[in-house]
Amino acid sequence: MSKQYEIPVGAQHISLLEPLHFKFTTENEKIISTAANVYYVHRGIEQACCSKFKFRQVSFVVGRVCGLCSISHTTAYSQVAEKLLNLEIPRRAKYLRMLVIELDRIHSHLLCLIHVSENAGFEALFMKTMQYREFSMELLEAICGNRIQYDFSIVGGVARDLKLPVAHEVVGRLKRFKPELDELMDIFMHNWTLSLKNKGSGKITRETAMRLNVVGPFARAAGLAIDVRNETEDLLPWKEVGFEMITGEDGDVHARNIVRLKEIYVSINIIENIINGLPESELVTETKAFPDGEAVVRLEAPRGELFYYAKGNKTQVLERLKIKAPTFSNIAGMVEGFTGNEYGSVPAIIASYDPCLSCTAR
Amino acid sequence: MKKILTSPENLKADIRQFYNETQHHFIVMNAVEMGEQMEIQWFFCDYAHPAEMTCFYMQIPPGTLIPTITGVVSSAWVAEAELSDLMNVDIENTEKGFVLEPDSEAGPLRKKK
Amino acid sequence: MNKTNGMKTFLKALGNLVKKPVTVKYPFEQTYIPDDYRGLIEFDESLCIWCRRCEMVCPPGAIVFSQDMEGKHTYHYNRAVCIYCTECVRTCPKEGAIYQTAQPASCALKAENINNGWNALFEEALKSRAAYAAEKKRLAAEKAQAAKKDSALTIKQQGKCTNSP
Ligand code: SF4
Ligand code: SF4
Repeated sequence: MSKQYEIPVGAQHISLLEPLHFKFTTENEKIISTAANVYYVHRGIEQACCSKFKFRQVSFVVGRVCGLCSISHTTAYSQVAEKLLNLEIPRRAKYLRMLVIELDRIHSHLLCLIHVSENAGFEALFMKTMQYREFSMELLEAICGNRIQYDFSIVGGVARDLKLPVAHEVVGRLKRFKPELDELMDIFMHNWTLSLKNKGSGKITRETAMRLNVVGPFARAAGLAIDVRNETEDLLPWKEVGFEMITGEDGDVHARNIVRLKEIYVSINIIENIINGLPESELVTETKAFPDGEAVVRLEAPRGELFYYAKGNKTQVLERLKIKAPTFSNIAGMVEGFTGNEYGSVPAIIASYDPCLSCTAR
Repeated sequence: MKKILTSPENLKADIRQFYNETQHHFIVMNAVEMGEQMEIQWFFCDYAHPAEMTCFYMQIPPGTLIPTITGVVSSAWVAEAELSDLMNVDIENTEKGFVLEPDSEAGPLRKKK
Repeated sequence: MNKTNGMKTFLKALGNLVKKPVTVKYPFEQTYIPDDYRGLIEFDESLCIWCRRCEMVCPPGAIVFSQDMEGKHTYHYNRAVCIYCTECVRTCPKEGAIYQTAQPASCALKAENINNGWNALFEEALKSRAAYAAEKKRLAAEKAQAAKKDSALTIKQQGKCTNSP
């Protein structure tokens, strides 16, 4: 047996964007086992939601769980609250929610690709992708009025309407973005330097993904077709607007990049369909009821399945709110994915998991 | 959602009988305080029929040792570690301190009396 | 890499030298602000009916009303606590009493003492309202007592009247 080393990475490390800590046991350069420690940012949001805030205010609080997928959190919470209130929301609100979720997915996936290229040492691609991503941020700002915290979904519907000039702007900008996306696809697919760090590293198989209940692009890149958009029709009609399942095969960093890029194409398609067929209706269903009973909701956030559990007690304040973020399901898979890789590939692998620890620790 | 009542003695057998790696997806564990009792829940869904969710639950007084299901569902250790820290419940083979610093308050999500 | 490809890359790199930067030179140039940006919340005292609903719905507590002893309300708003969610505007029963502009908020300065100062102000405002409510209650009780006395007096007088033929 050769000599073993234990190398800690994090909680603060130059290649990490999130406060997480891995302890690698390596033999020379090869990682043979990993231990993870993920919680450094517990903020007690669930407790605050059940004690300090009224149930209508909670949709703004849970938006602050995560800066990247705040729309997924607010929408999932709004849906679970609507279930507790037995509320059917207007059709237009549903489509507008999907529109913002998909735009958010574009920016989040691009951000992940940015980190992968940066952590693999490809600074020029990092800047290029960052430049291309800016359009999605500006569109989100034009639709929601805020750049990061959209505060778009509220209990009963959505807070703002999509104005006609903004809708035209969205379509026009998406059209201009498509060739840029083709260019990115070409680079991520064929660039030789990038493939050195991406192809074959951080590999997990479909069986492992299944065994460890992995979700999101991480699972889909390994060939496990799990996507909440494919499953539930009652809350948001995804299939109606042109959702397609994207899966990869290899389950390595490269496959994850490609799955994300292909999903951006699907998102663009969905957004165009929504804008072309946006139904007219009210934006909010008002009610004076109080939440009662218990309900669960699943929603596909950019990183995978988001799960909300809520229990009401006929008062303004909820009895219990439980949030399960996508990264939480992926921790077990993340730890497994390092085994057998070289230590030098770790930054790129971590970035390709697209971990969001603020969501996980809440 | 289908809710199935179980108990600390039967949990492992129930889950083993129900759970099939290639068919079921384990979502998360949850605990709800209900007065004196505490309800512990395990959520699953089905890959083929994902809209059908299954929830195993049991009601126990706080302080009861909850059996682990990691033997059957390999990724459940994350959920167990989180729950044991945040709700201050005791779960078999789970050490406290994965989620919180050792010197932080125990069970921050418990209701303040 | 073949020769033509290398040439292309080289030319592109040369071209990049004279291209405009894609970033915005922020303090000197304005960044992108959409038309209906969520900006500062403005308040119109003349329209307000002082129902305090905006205060009740505001998630972070960025609005508070204080009250003086005559019962006159004063509106307080903190732009650094506000999350620009527009809930106050949505809930206001009187259109135009509170509205959102597209004006971005300016930075909070240390001299403004925007956190602790606001918390103190918030407490004070609640206290002032409680004080006014207590005062009103006291006055009402006094009035009720006076009225009781009054009515007792009139009954007495009435009794007197009836008693003396
Ligand atoms: S916009 Fe939202 S946070 Fe700001 S004052 Fe109104 S309700 Fe409060
Ligand atoms: S909700 Fe409107 S009317 Fe009521 S206090 Fe606020 S601004 Fe005035």
